[in-house]
Amino acid sequence: MFEIRRTSTRVWLQILLSVLVIPFVFPLVAMVQGSLAGQGWGNYATVLSLPLLPGFFVNSAIIAAAVIVLVLICTMTASFGFSKLRIPGKEIFFWALLACLTLPGVVLLAPLFATVTRLGAYNTLWAVIVPVAALQVPFTVLLARNFVDGIPDQLIEAARVDGANVLKIFWHVMLPLTRPIIAAVGVLVFINSWNEYLFPLLFLQSPEQQTVTLVPSYFIGQYNNDQTKVLASAVVVGLPIVIAYIFLQRFFERGLAAGALK
Amino acid sequence: MTARTPGSTGRRLKSPPGWPWILPALIFSVGTLYYCIGYTGYISTLDWDGTSPLQQSVGVENFVHLFHDPIFWRSIIHTVIFAVSTFVMQVVLGLVFACLLHSKLYLRTFYKVLIFIPVVLATATVAPVFRQIFAADGVLNDILQAVGLDSLARPWMANGAFALIIVIMVHVWQSTGVTFVLYYAAVGQVDPETIEAARIDGAGNLRIIGSIIWPSVRGTTIAIAILTAIGSLKTFDIPFLVTGGGPSYATEFLGTLIYRVSVSYAQVGYGAAISIVLLVLAIVAAIIINTGGRRGERADV
Repeated sequence: MFEIRRTSTRVWLQILLSVLVIPFVFPLVAMVQGSLAGQGWGNYATVLSLPLLPGFFVNSAIIAAAVIVLVLICTMTASFGFSKLRIPGKEIFFWALLACLTLPGVVLLAPLFATVTRLGAYNTLWAVIVPVAALQVPFTVLLARNFVDGIPDQLIEAARVDGANVLKIFWHVMLPLTRPIIAAVGVLVFINSWNEYLFPLLFLQSPEQQTVTLVPSYFIGQYNNDQTKVLASAVVVGLPIVIAYIFLQRFFERGLAAGALK
Repeated sequence: MTARTPGSTGRRLKSPPGWPWILPALIFSVGTLYYCIGYTGYISTLDWDGTSPLQQSVGVENFVHLFHDPIFWRSIIHTVIFAVSTFVMQVVLGLVFACLLHSKLYLRTFYKVLIFIPVVLATATVAPVFRQIFAADGVLNDILQAVGLDSLARPWMANGAFALIIVIMVHVWQSTGVTFVLYYAAVGQVDPETIEAARIDGAGNLRIIGSIIWPSVRGTTIAIAILTAIGSLKTFDIPFLVTGGGPSYATEFLGTLIYRVSVSYAQVGYGAAISIVLLVLAIVAAIIINTGGRRGERADV
């Protein structure tokens, strides 16, 4: 965007960019550096030798997978219905859904806690999966409906003229055409559920059931004042998602930015 | 849209009923969420500790108490300060990065990755390092001492004003990547010929950003304003994990206040009352900004 006529301009802009990026990198460097203080790599050996550690990852993966499946089923069927099918008073239902867009998770704290304990779901992964998924659906439906609106109605009509029923149209016309938005929603929902902190904190009591976001606090409890091991555990938890992002840059950026594109 | 075109109706098949398709989303999401909201509304009229069978109905007393609670009002003020300052910083940084990375500079992907990594990391993962950086014996004070600015070193988190600034900075660190990606896409849509014409007329780089790019990305800026307003009301993870809402409520937000009241103090009824107020504020904020933004757009045309 900036016009670069002279080499000196380019050097100055490159320096400006580098200086502006420093604050973004500094905490990451401090994190890695801090994790290597004291016993050096020994901190990582301690963290990785914890028998419970794989369990945190497995739980986070199960929660993320279940949330993605639930959200995608609700989102793709609903956006198809809202966009392409005949529903009397559908905008009322749509607005009922959109009203939940602004809902902060913390607002649900008391009723969820009461309900979860009554149903005996306390300390099970379901107590996290259901609210996290329910909170994402309004937003993903809005996103997907905008996308599905862009698919020409004639395509659906043509399939119907050829004798396909609604189910077949959904499966053979709609889903193949909506792959980009499925990918974007998938990544967005994955990040949000993998990084979810409040609901696991509230509903998952025993370390065997906890998620990766609770690992740093687990280590704070285990190694009281040993910041180096806490930071090493944070690096271990953060690294997989950073690697995933670097390999799937475009999907991540599109998925997370999709949020604001109305 | 062909459905409403007269003339094409003759050959058109009647489209099948769609309500079974929206049912899963409605039952699952709307059902769960509205049930919870209704339940919160009911709890907000109780004096209840969350576990005991003893529930006492107190009517609107929780709400009356709320409006006389100085910490509630402080949380509101913190939310407003947080919203305004993070909005300004994210917009400026996001736009500057977007323009810089649209220029022909080296290693653009590398810089982009560095700006975006904080977005994908959980607050819970990065909170320990921020506590470490700003601790009394932390990295920041070490650096200040190393460059001879000992006098500036202090226990940052112990000071209310600095603690709030830290919460704001961590949020800007974490979400500038998103505003950058949004602006990057928007700046890419600006017609290059307009920029070329302005350049021929003698406009410099800064003039082009101010007079051509900034008005062109207005829609994105409004979207970011909505995200920031609602996001600020939802703020929980950063103050909870980095500063713990302290020192002495200096970084209390509505989310952390609800958690403190409901979980730590076991005043679930009062917590529910704050939740209802937060809910109303979030919806009102969304409506105001949305209609205000739309009107602005129309005025522009």
